[in-house]
Amino acid sequence: MDSYIYTITALLPLAAAMLVFQVNPYHALVIRGVLGAIAALVYTVLGAPDVALTEALVGTLLAITLYAVAVRSSLVFRLGVLKDDLSHPQDLTAPDATPLQQVVQALNTVFKDYYLRVELVPYFDREELSQALIDKEIHATCERGSGADDEEAISRPNAPDSCPPPYRTTTRLRRLYDIMNSELLSPVTQLSYVDLSTVGEMH
Amino acid sequence: MSFLNLALMAMVVALLIPLYEAWRDEDIWQTMLSLSSISSKAAVMILLVSVLRDDWMIGVVGVIILSVGNAGFMLLAHILKRLGDA
Repeated sequence: MDSYIYTITALLPLAAAMLVFQVNPYHALVIRGVLGAIAALVYTVLGAPDVALTEALVGTLLAITLYAVAVRSSLVFRLGVLKDDLSHPQDLTAPDATPLQQVVQALNTVFKDYYLRVELVPYFDREELSQALIDKEIHATCERGSGADDEEAISRPNAPDSCPPPYRTTTRLRRLYDIMNSELLSPVTQLSYVDLSTVGEMH
Repeated sequence: MSFLNLALMAMVVALLIPLYEAWRDEDIWQTMLSLSSISSKAAVMILLVSVLRDDWMIGVVGVIILSVGNAGFMLLAHILKRLGDA
């Protein structure tokens, strides 16, 4: 048996370990492609060209496409906003960003560590927005504070009383509220958590 | 025969460089570059093995992997680019 076979075969567990210990889902996707290429090489060297061809066609091409679609559609934070607030949704980095854009930018910074994308879902009026939150179409809403406080909403303790933030972000998921409460350092928005089980009894 | 064996060993060592680059995850595009590098290098290594063993079947597989790998790379790059725009 040729000696180079052992060196080439040793590459396969190396690439597999890299894939297993990767925490970022998008990097893992690319490293899956690396693993597919090395696996095809190893299968060919070990004398199975048909298996290598299947690995390259199905394992690398199809699996990566399907994983990419799955990762892209699942790792998303859907934020419901009012259509009137979305005046210029494109230039998020402009210095004269609107308060909503500042909120979205702050959320993007927070959720980048959790590999979540922030996706804005526009709605026409407040009723539609709150109904979408109850129907679990979106994870959170962000709208201008109306002044009327809900009883079940937990307002942020360190928000200044003299100058209330113009926006209010309401989420229905406890985990998202905890993350935002500890890491979101934006003076533009107030955070609140709404428990949908109690809201469902009220309506 | 011995020279081709040595060349294959050198190629294995060269394959370790983009592997290390993929392991040091900084930018997603750096990882994509290392993927394309590894994919091309693996295909060329398959072609070399086919010459080494005088087996045409392996060579055909190498050529197909060389072309299909690029197509998959393009698809993945498009999805990642859409992700950056959104």
